[in-house]
Amino acid sequence: MLFPTITFAVFFLLVFMGNWLLMPRPRLWKPFILLASFVFYGWWEWRFVLLLALSAVANQLFATAIERAATAAARKWLLAAAVAVNLGVLGWFKYYGFFVTSVVNFLGVFRLQADLPLLRIVLPIGISFLTFRVLSYVVDVYRGKLRTSSLLDFAVYVAFFPYIMAGPIARASEFLPQLAGPRDPRRVDTSRAFFLIFAGLAKKMLLADYLATHIVNGVFTTPGQYTSLETLLGIIGYSVQIYCDFSAYADIAIGISLLLGFELPDNFNAPYTAISVQDFWRRWHMTFSRWLRDYLYIPLGGNRKGQTRTYVNIMITMVLGGLWHGAGAPFIFWGFLHGGAQVVEHRRIDIRKLRAQRRLRASAPPLDDTSDLGRSTDALAAPAAGGPASGRAAGAPPGPPGIDTRPWGGGVWPRVGVFAFVTFAWVFFRSATFGAALSVLAQLFRGWGSVGAAVTPALLLVIAVGIGIQYVPRSLYERVEAGFSVLNPLAQGALLAVGFMVLDVVGPTGPASFLYFRF
Amino acid sequence: MDDRDPDKLPFGRRRRTAASALIAILVAFVLGVLFNAPAMKKTATELPFGGQRSVRLALVSPAAAVSHWVFLDRPARFAAAALGKPDPGLRPVEVVVVTPRPTPQPTTASGKPRPQPTAKPLPKPYAGHPMHLYIAGDSMVGIPGMALVNLSNDTHLIKPLLDYRISTGLVRPDFFSWPAQLQRQVKAFDPGAVVVMWGANDNQGVQTSSGKVYEFGSSGWEKEYRKRVGDAIAILFDGGVRRIYWVGQPIVPDSTYDRQIRLMNDIFRGAAKKHPGVQYIDAYEVLSDGGGGYAQYLRDDKGEMQQVREADGEHLTYAGGMRLAKVVMAAIKAEWFGKKKPGAGSAASSPKASAKATPAP
Repeated sequence: MLFPTITFAVFFLLVFMGNWLLMPRPRLWKPFILLASFVFYGWWEWRFVLLLALSAVANQLFATAIERAATAAARKWLLAAAVAVNLGVLGWFKYYGFFVTSVVNFLGVFRLQADLPLLRIVLPIGISFLTFRVLSYVVDVYRGKLRTSSLLDFAVYVAFFPYIMAGPIARASEFLPQLAGPRDPRRVDTSRAFFLIFAGLAKKMLLADYLATHIVNGVFTTPGQYTSLETLLGIIGYSVQIYCDFSAYADIAIGISLLLGFELPDNFNAPYTAISVQDFWRRWHMTFSRWLRDYLYIPLGGNRKGQTRTYVNIMITMVLGGLWHGAGAPFIFWGFLHGGAQVVEHRRIDIRKLRAQRRLRASAPPLDDTSDLGRSTDALAAPAAGGPASGRAAGAPPGPPGIDTRPWGGGVWPRVGVFAFVTFAWVFFRSATFGAALSVLAQLFRGWGSVGAAVTPALLLVIAVGIGIQYVPRSLYERVEAGFSVLNPLAQGALLAVGFMVLDVVGPTGPASFLYFRF
Repeated sequence: MDDRDPDKLPFGRRRRTAASALIAILVAFVLGVLFNAPAMKKTATELPFGGQRSVRLALVSPAAAVSHWVFLDRPARFAAAALGKPDPGLRPVEVVVVTPRPTPQPTTASGKPRPQPTAKPLPKPYAGHPMHLYIAGDSMVGIPGMALVNLSNDTHLIKPLLDYRISTGLVRPDFFSWPAQLQRQVKAFDPGAVVVMWGANDNQGVQTSSGKVYEFGSSGWEKEYRKRVGDAIAILFDGGVRRIYWVGQPIVPDSTYDRQIRLMNDIFRGAAKKHPGVQYIDAYEVLSDGGGGYAQYLRDDKGEMQQVREADGEHLTYAGGMRLAKVVMAAIKAEWFGKKKPGAGSAASSPKASAKATPAP
C-alpha cells in the first residue's frame, strides 16, 4: 500500500479510529495494530506477512534464549546464530542472484561449468529495515541494555506499518517502551504530524517525482541523448531527488506515527548543508548511520584500537553500508568513496591533534590520555552534530580544546565541496553498472555546445527549492507548525484538503513508488 | 477539546486531542474526496471492465455528482487549467479515424494509390542526415527502448526518440490514445522507422466504437484487437514511416498470463505477415531459455550469465533489455545500412539468427 493513495487514506482513517478507541485496552489494541500492519504489508504481497511473523517468532526465541543462557559462551553462540539466521535470510533474498551469477561467471573464466540453480526471487519490500530492527533487539538483549518483551509487543515493533517499508530504523529500545502503557489521547502532536505528512507528500510529488521524470531517469539511462549541462543538472537533480524521495517517506512515517501516538527518531537533518562527509553522515539517514555505528563500527573496535585500525574500521563499515544498499560494484564503490573521504577527514584532524600535542609537550606537561587522539572525530563515533546552542561550531564533533575538529572548516566552500563530492558519489549509487556510471560522467565532457531542451526554468527552480529547503532554519518550520496548531480542527482539515488538492493537480499522474523500497 | 500542553513545545505549539485530530482528518478526507472526485471518477473509469470497476464507479460517481453540485470540482479544474495541465476529470477520448489498409491494392482515403512502404529503396542514413527512429509502447518497452537509444547513439546515424507510457496499450484509448499519439509523433518527429511494443496491459476487455465490450480472448476481442493493430500500422505508414519493427511480448512465468501473451503475439505476427514493411521481432524467443522455457538468467554474447528479467518476472533488466535491443538493432541495420534487399514481413527470431544477418554499418 502506498502512502499517497486513496486506498491508504481510507485504511488510515479506519486504523486511526480503531487505534484510539482500543488504546485504553492494550489486550485489544496490540492485536489490532498488528493486524492492521499485516494488512498494510500484505496488500502488496500477502505471502510475505508470513516472513514478518516468522521473523518475529524466531528472533523472540533467540532473544529469550540469550537472556536465559547460563554462560557467556552460550549467549555468544546464540547471538552468532541469530545474526547468521537474519543475515542468511537477507542474503537469500537480496544477494542470491548476484552471488550465483558471480560464481558462475568466475568459474567460466577458467572454462568451468557450475550448474547452480538460478531462481527468480522476489525481494520483500523493506526486508533490510526489518533485519536492522530485529537485530537491534537481539543485540541489545545480549548486551543487557534491554529486557525481552512479550512476543506480541515484539511483533508490533517488528511490523508497525508506518516504518515497515523504508524506516526510520526505530530501535527496539526506542519503540518498545512506548508500548508499555497506552498513549495519551489528550496529547497528540497533531500539528507536527500534519506538517510532516504534507511536507513529505510535497517533497515526493512536487520535487522528487518531477526530477525523476523530467531529467534524472533520462540522464542515467540514455546519457547520449543529453548535453553536458543537462547531464550536470541530471546528476545534481538525482542528489535532490533521492533526498526528497527518501526523506519524504521518513517524514510521512513519523507524521503517521505521531497521529497514532508514537514517536519515531528523525532520519534527516538538512544533509546537503553538511560541512564535511562525516557531518553528512550525521545528517543523512541518521538512524542507519547510528545503527552502523553501534552494531558494526563499535563491535569492530571503533576508534579504540589506534589510528590505522580506526581507518580500517571506517572503510569496512562504509563499504558494508554500500553493499547493504544492493549487490554490485557501484554500491561497493559508493561505500568506498564515502569511507575514503571520512578517512581523509579523520586523518586531517589527527594531524592537527598531533601538532597540538607537540606544541603542548613543548610548552606544558604532556596530555594524560593520548588515546583521545582520533576519538570522537569520525561520523560513526561521534554523537549528533552540535549546533550553535551546544557551544560548538555547527557540524563539529567534540574534540580537544583549541583544535578545530571540522576537517574543512566552516562557511560556504566546505558545504559546496561536500555537496559536490556526495553528488559525484551518487552517480555510482544510481547507476546499474560501473560502466553506466562512467558513461554518465563522460557525458559531462562531450556536449557543452548547447544548453539542451531539458534545461527549463521549472527544472532549475525545483533543484533550487530541493536544496534551498535545507537551508531554511528549523525554527521557521516550527513557527508554521505552532501557528497551525492553534487553528480550529475544521480549519486544519480544510487547509489540508486544499493542500492535498494542489499537490494532486501540480504533481504527476499516479503514485510513484519510493526509491528506498528496493533496499 | 484542546488542552494546553504542560510540556513546552517550540513556539507554543499545542498538542491536541485524538478527537480533534479525527475531526481534522475527517474534514480533510471528505473535502479532499470532493475536490478530487472528478479525478477519482476518471481513475475508476479507466480500470479494466469488470466488477471492480463497477464497484469503484458506484462509489465515486455520487461523490463526483455532489462535488459538481457544490462547485467543489472547480478549484482543481481551474488550477489545472492555470498550470496548463489536462483537466483532472474525464476527457473525451481522442478518436482517430483510420482508413483500413486493404491489400493487395492499397489506396488512401482520397482514392489515390498508396505507395507500398517497401516499394522504394530505403534512404541510407549518413552523417548529418540520421534516420529518425521512434520507439513507442508501454512500460515493457522502457528498458529495451533505453538500450536501443544507446545503441542508436553509438551508430551516430540514427536519431532515436523513446516514448513509453506506463499502463497503456491498444485496448483502452480512454486511458491513453496511442492512435492519437502516433499521429502527433509521426508529424512532429518524422520517423523513418518505428519500433513498437504493446500488449502487456491489453489482457483485458475491449470496448468497440459501438459500445460493445468483448471479454479478453473472445473472438470479438481478437477481431477488434486485430483491427487496432492494423489501425496503428496504417497511421504510421500514412504518416510517412518506411519500416515498422513490431516487438512481441516476452515469455512470462505465469502460465495464464503467458497464454494471453502468446495469443497477442500471434496477432502481432499475423499483422507483420499481412503488411509489407512490418517486421515482427520475436521477443518471446529472444528471452526464452534453450528449451523454450522462461529464464530469469541468460548468457550474453560473451558467455556471461546475466539476470535478464526483474523479480516480477515480466519487466526486463537492462541486460535483458539490451539483449532484445540488439536483435531490434540488427534488424534495423540489416534493412537501413546493409546491402541485403529489404525483406517484408520477415521475422527476427533469435539473436543468433539476427547476428548472422547483421552487416557492418
